[in-house]
Amino acid sequence: MTRINHKDVMLRGTLIATTVASVLLAACAAAPVKPDGAAEARNKLTQLQADPNLGSRAPLAMKEADSAVRVAEQPQDDKELAAYRVYLADRKVDIARAQAETSLAEDQRAALSAQRERERLNARTREADAAHLAAASSERQADAANLAAASSEQQATELQRQIDVLQARPTDRGLVLTLGDVLFETGRSGLKMGATGNLNKLVAFLNRYPDRTALIEGYTDSVGSEDYNQGLSERRADSVKSYLVGEGIGATRLSATGKGERDPVASNDSAGGRQQNRRVEVIISNPAAALR
Amino acid sequence: MNATSQAHCGSRLRMAVGLTGVLMLAACASMPPAPTASLQAAQRAISTAERAEAGRYAPEELSEARTRLASADTAVSEQRMIMAERFADESRVEAELASAKTANVKAKAVNDEMTRSNDTLIDEMQRSSGDKP
Repeated sequence: MTRINHKDVMLRGTLIATTVASVLLAACAAAPVKPDGAAEARNKLTQLQADPNLGSRAPLAMKEADSAVRVAEQPQDDKELAAYRVYLADRKVDIARAQAETSLAEDQRAALSAQRERERLNARTREADAAHLAAASSERQADAANLAAASSEQQATELQRQIDVLQARPTDRGLVLTLGDVLFETGRSGLKMGATGNLNKLVAFLNRYPDRTALIEGYTDSVGSEDYNQGLSERRADSVKSYLVGEGIGATRLSATGKGERDPVASNDSAGGRQQNRRVEVIISNPAAALR
Repeated sequence: MNATSQAHCGSRLRMAVGLTGVLMLAACASMPPAPTASLQAAQRAISTAERAEAGRYAPEELSEARTRLASADTAVSEQRMIMAERFADESRVEAELASAKTANVKAKAVNDEMTRSNDTLIDEMQRSSGDKP
């Protein structure tokens, strides 16, 4: 009980002492009053100094701003003088900030400049790469074109060889292959046995160039009636067509027609001339695409 | 008698001269010189800001500086030399701020332009590399 009382007294004593001290302190603090606006200027300056990007920049302007703020903070009874000092302090802080920001922008510009150089270099490298690629690609295309040219040349050579084998002659109507009368018995339209050597070359040729079609025309000499010769020429043309179809050439690629005694290639007055006129001509179409 | 009178007269003259001097001094004190240096400094600061195109980049500050300088001139004509000096100082600091802000705006504009052109460069590159992967 007494101990509690004693503690109570001590507490009360401390409380009084504290109150007195704070009153005294307040009196002390109240005496010098900072002019209006000085605190705001100080705040602006403190913020600027605390900015990690700006605080260490424009050191001279910072220093001037700091001294101006100090002067402005001095208690002053002359209100006009106080306002003047605060005005100067405020503007000097603004100047320090503007200069610090300018200095930061200049540093950033150096970085931007370096970045621009990097990007330009990248762009140039890429352009060069692209040009290399394009060059390589056009080289490949040229190679391909050369190959194609070579191959079409080869094809043309091969075709010529085949034509030579066939003993056909190129004309405006196409390749014309003349099969002599040795194919047929006199007055007959059936093919002679063992006389199909030339026809087999034709089969091979048509197989090799499947986009070509063939027109088969039968001709006779002038011996005998015209009607008979017409019929005979048709039958002979047909039997050549039949043989070719039998060897696997599509019937749609083939057409057969009889010309009879017309269009003789030699005089019918001699035996030799009549022999030349008895013939079957095979006209192989000359499609543009086949030669390309 | 004569001597005393002469002496008396001399002392009076000296007094008169002294009084005049005091009066003149007093007149001088009531007519303080114009704050020429401050006024000239303000005018120079404004000219500098104008040359830096502050009229375009910090027009408010430049206009305020001119207003303060005009106030300073008015104060001089009203013989309020202390006020004149303060207005002149304020005008100079305001003009200096106009210059600082102008430099800042210009620096930032250059950076913005560079950033834009860099972005364009990157953009173009990405587009062209997108065309030819």
